[in-house]
Amino acid sequence: MVLTLYGLAAPLGGTATVAMTLAEKGIPYTFVSVDLQHGEHKQPEFRKKQPFGLVPALDDDGFVLYESRAICRYLAEKYAGQGPTLIPTELKAKALFEQAAAVEFANFEPHARAAYNEGVLKPHFNLPIDASALNTCISKLSDNLDVYEVILGKQRFLAGDEFTLADLFHVAFGTTLAEAGCDLMTSKGPNVKRWWKEVTSRPAWLSVLNSGIKTTMCEDDAFKSGVSEP
Amino acid sequence: MAILKLHGGKQATCTRRVATVLHELQVPFELIEVDVANGAHKSPEYLKIQPFGQIPYIDDDGFLLYETRAICRYIAAKYPEYGLIPTEPKANALFEQAASVELTNFDPSASKAGLQLWIRKMGYPFPTDDKIIADNLETLEKKLDAYEAILSKQRYLAGETITLADIFHLPYGVFVTYAGSESDSVMNRASRPNVARWYKQLISRPSWLAYLDGVTTTTAY
Repeated sequence: MVLTLYGLAAPLGGTATVAMTLAEKGIPYTFVSVDLQHGEHKQPEFRKKQPFGLVPALDDDGFVLYESRAICRYLAEKYAGQGPTLIPTELKAKALFEQAAAVEFANFEPHARAAYNEGVLKPHFNLPIDASALNTCISKLSDNLDVYEVILGKQRFLAGDEFTLADLFHVAFGTTLAEAGCDLMTSKGPNVKRWWKEVTSRPAWLSVLNSGIKTTMCEDDAFKSGVSEP
Repeated sequence: MAILKLHGGKQATCTRRVATVLHELQVPFELIEVDVANGAHKSPEYLKIQPFGQIPYIDDDGFLLYETRAICRYIAAKYPEYGLIPTEPKANALFEQAASVELTNFDPSASKAGLQLWIRKMGYPFPTDDKIIADNLETLEKKLDAYEAILSKQRYLAGETITLADIFHLPYGVFVTYAGSESDSVMNRASRPNVARWYKQLISRPSWLAYLDGVTTTTAY
């Protein structure tokens, strides 16, 4: 009775986001790599699991779920009793979590992903970078991080003083920004820098970076260290 | 207990999303119009409440909240009897999957094309771009092929009953149809009968029909 995570074994994007959540909660899982390079994710067989032909997908003993944020939310609810509380339960605290989670997708993700596509993915495929396009998304991200600087000057994390999924959702794309030539996460201001250092130093993220995304069992010491203090 | 205040725009896209959900949940609310035309949403006072300088936000008896989907989730959680967010763990997970599908697979292209089509339809003096509209509608067509597969097996996106995940497709789901006709648009194609069926159900709901001419203060249902 083990969870199976289907996706890309790289420390970026949706698969890494789910892997970090699994590590936060100390949940063992089997990893099945999907051959994106050869288009396995677009084949009819894979589309049975994920009709949009995207990764990741999770199979929990026959219950199949896709969309990394939905998978993380499901894991946070199912394993609410172990590891840190990743989604608050009290009505108003939860609303503020939802506000922060919405901010991640509306104000961070589009520009961070665009910067990744332009500044990291294109060179990887030997395509020329459109400097103007890259500057535009970095500029938009910078404007929004000015707001993060204000928010994080009043509270420790994005939804309040506790770490939640809303912070976690930033990690897997945020860490690719440096590779795209954007150092905003550390240069924007002291509050964003402090917050970014905290969320990316969590043992759960370090285990994704150091041990990689692979089948993990409870006995794996490197994985055990991924269960962070709340 | 003060009436819930919705700060936004009468015709504004995201304000309409919140109003639709408030109507679904039969929650009385007062619309307080924010003078966006004169930059009220970028004033220091406004930024203290909504630091990104966006509309809408709500004031629920002193509790301030922004981001429409967060607002809608908060209200739906207050009135669980309407079932707009299922609570049973697996049903809830399937709801979250559908909500994430709307967010990541529908909204990016639907909001880009829809906003411009809405600007044109309303005759607002803002620039629009044929290519942006066309490219995003093309992306949306492909995404809706996956919706067709999902909706051929179940009535709504999270299962057999309507949830917030379906309702979040308003209003942009309507605005993208402005590029077509009533009998043939991206949401209503003969080649995707299940999407068309689901779309027609959404726009027939009283909560959508109530604000066709714009959001208004609603004190009774």
